[in-house]
Amino acid sequence: MSVTKLEQLSKSVVQGPSLATGAIPTRDWMDIPVKFKAGNYAYVAKKDKVEYLNSQSGLSFPNAREWSPEEDDWKLPEDWKEIILTGLKERLDKFRSLKIFMDCCVRCGACADKCHFFLGTGDPKNMPVLRAELLRSIYRNDFTLAGKLFGKMAGAREMTVGVLKEWFMYSYQCTECRRCSVFCPYGIDTAEVTMMIRELLHLVGIGINWILEPVSNSNRTGNHMGLQPHTFKDNVEFLVEDVESLTGVKPNISFNRKGAEILFITPSADVFAEPGLYTAMGYLLLFEAIGLDYTWSTYASEGGNFGLFTNNEAMKKLNAKMYAEAERLGVKYILGGECGHMWRVVHQYMETMNGPADFLEKPVSPITGTVFENAASSKMVHLSEFTADLIKHGKLKFDKSRNSHIKATFHDSCNPARAMGLIDEPRYILDHVVDWVEMPENTIREQTFCCGSGTGLNTDEIMELRMRSGLPRANAVKYVQEKHGVNMLSCVCAIDRATLTSLNDYWTPGVGVCGVTELVANAIVQEGETRGELEEGLRTMVF
Amino acid sequence: MDVAEGFRCHREKIVDRWVEYVLSTYTSSGFFLKERDKFANPVGGNLREGLQKLFLLLSKGADPKEFTAPLEQIISIRSVQEFTPAQAVAPLNAVKHIVREVFEADKERKQLVDVLYDFEFNVDLAVLAAFDIYMKYRERLYQVRINEIRSGNHVLTDSKCPSNRLAGDNKGVIKGAL
Repeated sequence: MSVTKLEQLSKSVVQGPSLATGAIPTRDWMDIPVKFKAGNYAYVAKKDKVEYLNSQSGLSFPNAREWSPEEDDWKLPEDWKEIILTGLKERLDKFRSLKIFMDCCVRCGACADKCHFFLGTGDPKNMPVLRAELLRSIYRNDFTLAGKLFGKMAGAREMTVGVLKEWFMYSYQCTECRRCSVFCPYGIDTAEVTMMIRELLHLVGIGINWILEPVSNSNRTGNHMGLQPHTFKDNVEFLVEDVESLTGVKPNISFNRKGAEILFITPSADVFAEPGLYTAMGYLLLFEAIGLDYTWSTYASEGGNFGLFTNNEAMKKLNAKMYAEAERLGVKYILGGECGHMWRVVHQYMETMNGPADFLEKPVSPITGTVFENAASSKMVHLSEFTADLIKHGKLKFDKSRNSHIKATFHDSCNPARAMGLIDEPRYILDHVVDWVEMPENTIREQTFCCGSGTGLNTDEIMELRMRSGLPRANAVKYVQEKHGVNMLSCVCAIDRATLTSLNDYWTPGVGVCGVTELVANAIVQEGETRGELEEGLRTMVF
Repeated sequence: MDVAEGFRCHREKIVDRWVEYVLSTYTSSGFFLKERDKFANPVGGNLREGLQKLFLLLSKGADPKEFTAPLEQIISIRSVQEFTPAQAVAPLNAVKHIVREVFEADKERKQLVDVLYDFEFNVDLAVLAAFDIYMKYRERLYQVRINEIRSGNHVLTDSKCPSNRLAGDNKGVIKGAL
């Protein structure tokens, strides 16, 4: 290879400014169009799923069709622009928060470098401020005097198909993790701006399959997988058998049992896929150890709510199902498993959408008598709060050495950490059951980095995008892997359990992923057990 | 005055310019350059760290096997960003030109540009190794995709569930396990 002049090198390998990387931008951001190509967008929703959803009561998902983002013609309705602008007006009137978020940003830039998508791609349109500006520029143009008078000078621009395409690209390069909002001096929740953009896109039939199919399945059979009640029941029973063969303890379970004290709801992935399966086995062991009077439901068989990633109507409907089932069964309250966005919906939107749940009681732990005042309104207690309370009152017996094969760290899942303040409870639990270390300070607690694949972006056709948006998280995991020999990343979210597994497989092979309750159950000591040496805890293969 | 002394003397300047050049391939190069906290700026931080280590190895003529660790730190990131394979590895080559520029600007060390053959050969080896590493990470990425598609599937396909016999509808849904 000859010595190359820098300019020539730059010119020959970087043909021109590319969208996400490649070179310094030479044009204003408004003048750089988005380009869709395989790998940079998630597959669009299948026509039959959209048709089905649109036919369901309380839901509206119009303009079902076959289409591709890579083609110029997105087969939009003729009056698409009017639909979008009317939709925006309705939402500005309906959601005061949106109106405030559109008006009060001073473009200070505090959020700019806090987004994992920006940090992994370097694409300026992934700065939360600029992502919001994609919508704000239209708002200015059509809903503010300054925008009407001064146009582009006032940061306004006209709604075009190009803008619509830009919305699709960047509202699906945001996981609504809300890390940016932690740093906003005005408290702008940029995730809600993304939510509004996605809502508006659905008005003209733009959405992705990885979200709409689970929503459709949840609406039909009650869970993301579209599995029917008997399948759900069978699978929990298989887990019971596994637990029995590992520990000698056969957990007592029931389904749809009226009169149970507590309804337990968790993401369906816990019951069906690794590594969530081990967390679900953990739930079974834990509840057996304390003799909890609880029931599973084959109807409310999903804690996750992908409706949150589409529009407020779908979110409301899927959330209502959990409470309707709690009312039908006559339980006192709901205990929720290790899920992420379920908790955002429950803590931030449930009361407005479906509350008050006054047919339920203020949650009280039947074992310790602790009243969960924080859940007085939602009537739903997080399993980590519940478990931490059990430990605090000495109701669980542990043998920490049963987790001696694990050196753990803890990933704060975005929604429990930032949307409900569940930060210290999981840590308190970990202190009692496993040897663990923290990741660097600016990557945990309220400042936690997203797995990079939340809000329905956990689909494999955008794997590169997921790997780069997950880099900030993986980078911190790598640090504790190298420094402390960490081999397990624990968390309290089902999407995390699935997506961090892929993230670790790429960035930090050798680091597994588990739910906190799996570690609890590994260490738990209970009467009647006949467990042998389980070298890998609940993951030990027993033949 | 030998090349090694020249490298020692100008190491900081060379590495800084190299880092600047590599980061200039990103649209938001300003931030990637400025923020020095590796956890707040993983791309900038890892690339800087990797290039620093790599330069030390290149300049002392280390065994090319040792290039792997710093190259992986750099290329694992560029493998999943929107670069062509050439764009991903090309900026490594820039250090040859940067070294020549720096030495030429130093009156006392101008003559060193004539004895850079070994160093530049090392850079060539590093660039070739970087291509291998790029491929290694691309293959790993595809394996991650395959693993994810497989995960969860067996639970359904091997279970006794009667709905397993229903064609099609459930199959695409379970992959990746939400």
